[in-house]
Amino acid sequence: MIRDTLARLALLLVGLIVASVLIFLTLRVLPGDVAQLIAGTDGTPAQVAAIRERLGLDEPLPAQYLDWIGGVLRGDFGTSLLTGTPVMDELLQKAAVTVPLGVMAMVVALLIAFPFGVLSAMARGRASGTALNVGAQALAAVPVVWAGMMLIVVFAVWLGWLPAQGFPRSGWDDPAAAVRALLLPALTIGIVEGAMLLRFVRSATLQAVGEDFVRTAAAKGLTRNAALVRHGLPTVGLSVITVLGLQVAGIVVGAVVIEQLFTLPGIGRMLVTDVGARDLPKVQGELLALTGFVLIVGFVVDLVHRVLDPRQREAT
Amino acid sequence: MLRRTSLTAAALLAAGALLLTACTGGGDTAPTETGEPDPSAQLTVGLVLEPTNLDIRHTSGAALEQILIDNIYQGLVTRTEDNEIEPALASEYEISTDGLTYTFTLNPDITFHSGDALSVDDVVTSYTEVKDDESLIGHGDFAGVASIAADGDSTVVITLTEPNQNFLFALTGPAGLVFKAGDETDLKTGANGTGPFLLANWIQGDSIELTRNDAYWADPAGVAGVVLQYIPDFTAGVNAALDGSLDVLTAVDPNLAPQLDGESGFTLTTGKTTDKGTLAFNNAKAPLDDVRVREALRLAINHDELVAAIGAGQPMYGPIPELDPGYEDLSDVVGYDPDRARELLDEAGVDDLDLTLTIPSFYGTTVAQVLVSDFNEVGVTLEVNQVEFATWLQDVYTNKDYDLSFVLHVEPRDFGNFANPDYYFQYDNTEVQELYAEALATVDADESAALLAEAARIVSEDHAADWLYNGATLTAVGTGVAGFPVDSINSRLDLSGVTVAE
Repeated sequence: MIRDTLARLALLLVGLIVASVLIFLTLRVLPGDVAQLIAGTDGTPAQVAAIRERLGLDEPLPAQYLDWIGGVLRGDFGTSLLTGTPVMDELLQKAAVTVPLGVMAMVVALLIAFPFGVLSAMARGRASGTALNVGAQALAAVPVVWAGMMLIVVFAVWLGWLPAQGFPRSGWDDPAAAVRALLLPALTIGIVEGAMLLRFVRSATLQAVGEDFVRTAAAKGLTRNAALVRHGLPTVGLSVITVLGLQVAGIVVGAVVIEQLFTLPGIGRMLVTDVGARDLPKVQGELLALTGFVLIVGFVVDLVHRVLDPRQREAT
Repeated sequence: MLRRTSLTAAALLAAGALLLTACTGGGDTAPTETGEPDPSAQLTVGLVLEPTNLDIRHTSGAALEQILIDNIYQGLVTRTEDNEIEPALASEYEISTDGLTYTFTLNPDITFHSGDALSVDDVVTSYTEVKDDESLIGHGDFAGVASIAADGDSTVVITLTEPNQNFLFALTGPAGLVFKAGDETDLKTGANGTGPFLLANWIQGDSIELTRNDAYWADPAGVAGVVLQYIPDFTAGVNAALDGSLDVLTAVDPNLAPQLDGESGFTLTTGKTTDKGTLAFNNAKAPLDDVRVREALRLAINHDELVAAIGAGQPMYGPIPELDPGYEDLSDVVGYDPDRARELLDEAGVDDLDLTLTIPSFYGTTVAQVLVSDFNEVGVTLEVNQVEFATWLQDVYTNKDYDLSFVLHVEPRDFGNFANPDYYFQYDNTEVQELYAEALATVDADESAALLAEAARIVSEDHAADWLYNGATLTAVGTGVAGFPVDSINSRLDLSGVTVAE
């Protein structure tokens, strides 16, 4: 078990290094550079060259990479070329919007997926079960942007219950206002992600119904549903944890889109702006932090899974 | 494909026509206030384009100038909404009859936000830095400056090596701003200006907050504070206005504007701009180096229909907009004549012409759709290549690797681009270059404007580019808000005169 965990940890580190190289190189393929953007359409080539030199962009690529990754290992994610502020500071500031948004979206997704997924499995073959399943399929296919626009039209523009965009400038000093600002965006991501998760919960539940130990419990006199709830659902929960790890990546992607739509000053929106501005040190830091986050969540989920699932523990 | 695009164009046209009708009632002035202005009021303004940082000395961009000049930083002179030059930090200025010596007298008792008094040395230092430091924005505007010197405690004298009609105007831009000599403020995130507002807070990707400068040397601002809320998505901006989070929404998408009229508590104003929706031709690249091909392309474009599809603005037939010196109605040069366009293409011997339009993605699809459909009518296939602005800068602007390109050129008085053969248009006409040089060197403003008009006519007759439209800017002003600027607000947004009634 310990040896296996260490091996997985090593794999995580290799993953992070590979990701850092890929991030660094793919960004270098993008045409256009920040020096040109700073100089604007009035800038002369000499001016652009001067700015490029000032920003250290004329260094060879390996030197730039080592400079960057060396900083990261010391906990220094570098400085934004445009704003001059440390990337880490801006990341933390924006994470105060994106992380709560992701958590809220996840809660919404689970609140939808778990009960309705199990219900849909238990009602299989009946009209209600089919309706739930079809509804979930349809919802899961909805583009996040469209779902967001619908929610804005209904809850912000028609009913006026929730703000259509923006995050309080005072941030979390006013928690109620902050939560209100995140509610519609979290619902948007949560509903779509929840619908996808629902189908997974449904099939995991159906599978559990067929498991020997559930059948045994039922044979011992429990009703099929009671056997499922008491013995089957824990295994469903376990598999859902694994899928949740994968969903984190989906929620990060959803956040990029949703933060644009709701004008939330989060990591997703910062990323889009910074790529457009070719503020590469900042984009590198942001992407590495996000990739690292997703990889670490995957690692932790894996670990939790092993601890909780006796079968996996025995297998290793 | 043709069918679909023409359908879309027709739909856009209908929406545009609706909008134009809607706009006529709104008039061209900001609404009058309904109650007493409240000096403690906060104003929230929605804007589209956020500056990347606040360092106006080292970063170019209209978004930066729009917010910082006049509100935070000031120069000796500034310009009005109609692009007229007027004194700012200088109480008056004098230009010698030979056009070489500019004498500015400073207003008394001006202080920076830090509390330090403004001195002539600050002006001399600021301007000398622009002249000497190549990395400063506006350095090129100071190329013809021979000397910058103080004369006593309140006079600054600038001498030029040769007369330059554009010099005073350049001083209304970043080149002319005055900073405290030896100031340590980090200009990327902070500011120490002399203007009616202080920079209170900047949340990148969200908003900039200004508060009234109570120690301001002239009349104080009418509101206690302004929040500039950046909302890049047009629909999100309209939603924010409708849900009550904004007092004013600038740069309203014309096709969404009807939602913000009357009942919603907003009044729309239509402002003039110097935005030139420029369809650039790569004049050095075949077959666009053939004037017949360029003329054919211009004849193929139905400008009225295009303007209607965009929903605001007016057709434009030459390089100089109404707000700039040298403007002349050049609609006699080119009209809408697809038959003649086909003839010209035949004469030029280009059948089945395939061209690529490189367009920065933030301009949306309307312009491209109309062009694709119009060009299709005359047998020209247009491929649309949407790129990020950074890519556009590299491919089109720097490497000049393009056929056609669309960009909104917003800068006022930028006719000089057609007198510069190295500019990405690659338009090279010595007559135009001479006329432009002469116009710059002419001391008399009217004479200079006449020369510019002459040069502009040649540029248009050469079909060096097509000016698809002269943009108009729509602003939705909420009830109780008065004095909000109307014209030219995408390059200057002077907020000191805005008031909010209770």
